[in-house]
Amino acid sequence: MKLILMKKEKSVKKPEKVVDRSSISYRAKIFIKKNLAGWLIMLPGVALFSFFVWAPLVQNISLSFYRTVGFERAEFVGFANYVRVFGDPIFIQAFKNTFKYVLYSLAIGFIIPIFLGLLLSEVVHFKSLFRIGLYFPSIISGIAVVIMWSYLFNPNPGAVLNAAARIFRLGPFKFLDNPKASIPLIVLTMTWRGMGATALIYLSALQNVDTAQYEAARIDGANAWQRMRHITLPHLRPTVRMLFILQIISVFQVFYEPLVMTKGGGPNGASVSLLLLSYQYAFQKFDASASAAVGVILSFIIIALTVVYLRLSARRDKDLIRPFRPRRAKR
Amino acid sequence: MKTIILNFFGRVKAKFKGYRSLPDRIKRSGHRLKEKTTGVLNYSDYKRPIFKLVYTLILLTLFIAVLTVLLPPLWLFVSSFKDAAELESVPYSFWPDSFDLKKLGEVWRMLDFGKYYSNTFIVAVGAVASSVVFNGLLAYAFAVIKPKGWRFFYALVLAGYMIPAITSIVPLYKSIVDLGFINSFLPLWFVFGANAFYLIMFKSYFELLPKALFEAARIDGASDAEIFFKIVLPLSKPVVGVVSIFTMTAAWSDFLLPYLILMDDKMMTVMVKIYNIQATMGTITGFGPDKLLMVLTISILPQILLFIFFQRRITGSVATAGLKD
Repeated sequence: MKLILMKKEKSVKKPEKVVDRSSISYRAKIFIKKNLAGWLIMLPGVALFSFFVWAPLVQNISLSFYRTVGFERAEFVGFANYVRVFGDPIFIQAFKNTFKYVLYSLAIGFIIPIFLGLLLSEVVHFKSLFRIGLYFPSIISGIAVVIMWSYLFNPNPGAVLNAAARIFRLGPFKFLDNPKASIPLIVLTMTWRGMGATALIYLSALQNVDTAQYEAARIDGANAWQRMRHITLPHLRPTVRMLFILQIISVFQVFYEPLVMTKGGGPNGASVSLLLLSYQYAFQKFDASASAAVGVILSFIIIALTVVYLRLSARRDKDLIRPFRPRRAKR
Repeated sequence: MKTIILNFFGRVKAKFKGYRSLPDRIKRSGHRLKEKTTGVLNYSDYKRPIFKLVYTLILLTLFIAVLTVLLPPLWLFVSSFKDAAELESVPYSFWPDSFDLKKLGEVWRMLDFGKYYSNTFIVAVGAVASSVVFNGLLAYAFAVIKPKGWRFFYALVLAGYMIPAITSIVPLYKSIVDLGFINSFLPLWFVFGANAFYLIMFKSYFELLPKALFEAARIDGASDAEIFFKIVLPLSKPVVGVVSIFTMTAAWSDFLLPYLILMDDKMMTVMVKIYNIQATMGTITGFGPDKLLMVLTISILPQILLFIFFQRRITGSVATAGLKD
C-alpha cells in the first residue's frame, strides 16, 4: 500500500518535460526515429546493390580514364584509352558485328515470336503442349544450349545437320566456320532459345484484349483480317515496342554465344561482339582499362536506346485505343 | 522434408488424375471450336469450312514450331548414348545402337560429377535464400515502410537494371579478389540478393497486400523485421515461389561470375565444368565429343525436372511478369 502511494506521489511530482517542438535537434530526432527502422531494413539490400551493381559501374567509368597495371589504376590518362580502343581494328570489327547481331536478330528473331503469340492465342487444342513445348528451351542453361548447338553445327560431312541436308541434296555446309554464316547461326540459336518465352509475353498481351471488341467489330461487319488489323495489332503495339527495345538491348549483350560457339568470336573475329571483346581485353590480354572503355561505350549505347524506348513508350497510351471504323465503299 | 516428399507425390498423382486418353481427348476436342468465344476467330467463324482449314494450318504451324524446339534436345539425349564413331557414321542414324546406361556411369565416375552437382546445388540454394531475403527486404522497405530517401534508391535500382552487369565485370572481379572471396560461394549467393528484376516483382506484389495488416501488427508491437518474416513472406507465397524458381534456374545456369571466381576444380559448378571440358577438349585422354554430349545431358536434367514439376507456375508467371531469361 505504501509502495503504491509512493509511486503515485513520485509520478505526480515528476515535472513536465518542456520540449521545444520547433527546435532542429528535436525535429532531427523525430525524423530519425521515424525513418531509422526503414533505413535499417533497406541497409542490407542497398549494401548488396552498391557492391554488385552501382560501385562497379562507377569504378568502371573511372578505370577507363586511367592507365592500368594489372587491374590497378596507375595514372590518369584522360581519353587516351578510348582513342586507343577506337584505333584497334578488332574493336571496329566488334562494333560492326554488334550491329550485325542486332540486324539479324530483328530480321530473324523479332517476327517469329509475334507470329507464334498470335497463333497461340487462336488455338484451343493442345494449348499447354504448345506453350510448355515452346517455352522449354528457355529453362536450359545458356551455356549448355550453345555447346549443344555448336555440336549440332558440326561441319563434318557425316554429322547430323549435314546428313540431314544431304537428303535435300544440299551441303555439306561449313556452318560456324563460314565467316558470313557465323552471326546468323548464333542469332538462330538465340532465337531458338528465346522465342517461346517471348511468344508467351505476346500471348498474355493478347489475352487482355476484350472479347466484346471483337463482337462489336463483327456486328459492324469487319472480316477476320480487319478484326486482326484494327483490334488485335493495335493492342499488341505497346508490347511490340517494349520487346523491340528489350531485344536490341539484350542482343547488345551477346557474350557467351560467340565465346563458345565460335571459340571466342572466330573465324578471324567475324563474330566477336563488344561485350566479348571487353571480356577478352580484361581476362586474356589483361588490359583492364581498354576493357573498361569498351564497357562504358557499350553502357552508353544501351542507355541511349533506353532513353529512346522511354520516349516512345510515353506515347503508347495514345496509340492504344484506335476504334475500328468500317471502310466506306468508294464512290 | 516429409511434407516436401508428400507434396511431390501429390503433384504426380494430380497429374495422372487429370489425364484423359488420347482418343477421348480428340472426341471431346471437336466441341471446343463450337464453343470458342475468345480470339480473332470464334465459333461463328468456324461454321465456315475455310476457317476450319485455317485452324488446321495454325495447328500444323504450331506443331512444326514445337517440333523444331524439341528436336535438338532430343537429339542431344539420344546422341549422348552413341559412341564417338556413331556420331558421324555414314549413313547417319538418329538413334544410337543401344541405350547403354553403363556409359552414363562411366562418364559420371570419370569426372566424379557428383561434386559439381553438390556445388551447384549449394550455390543455387544459397542464391534462392539470399534472393528472397535481400530483394524482399528492400522491396518491403520500398513498398510499405517508405522511409525518407527510398525514391532515390529505387531510381538507382531502376537505372542499374538497364545496364548489363557484365559491362563492369572487371571492377566487380577486383573487389571480390580484394575481399579474398576467390573460390568462395559467398559472392555467388549474394549477387542474387541484388537483382532489380526480382526486387520489382516483390515490390509490385507487396503493394497489393492490405495496409491494415501492417498497422495491426505494428500496434501489436511487432518490429518491421518481424512483420516481414512472419506476416509479409508467408502471405506472399506465390511471388516467393516464382522468384525462387527463377533464381534456382538462373543460379544453376549462371556462368561468367562462377567461371571467374571458382578457380579450384573442387569448387566448380556444373556449368563452369562443362565449359572447361568443352574448351580443353582433346587434352583429356579418352574424353571425346560423345562423352561431352553425355555430360551435357546430365547437366541439364535437373533443370528439366524442375521445369516439369513447376511448368504451370513458370509459364504462367512468364506471361504475367513479362520476363525473358
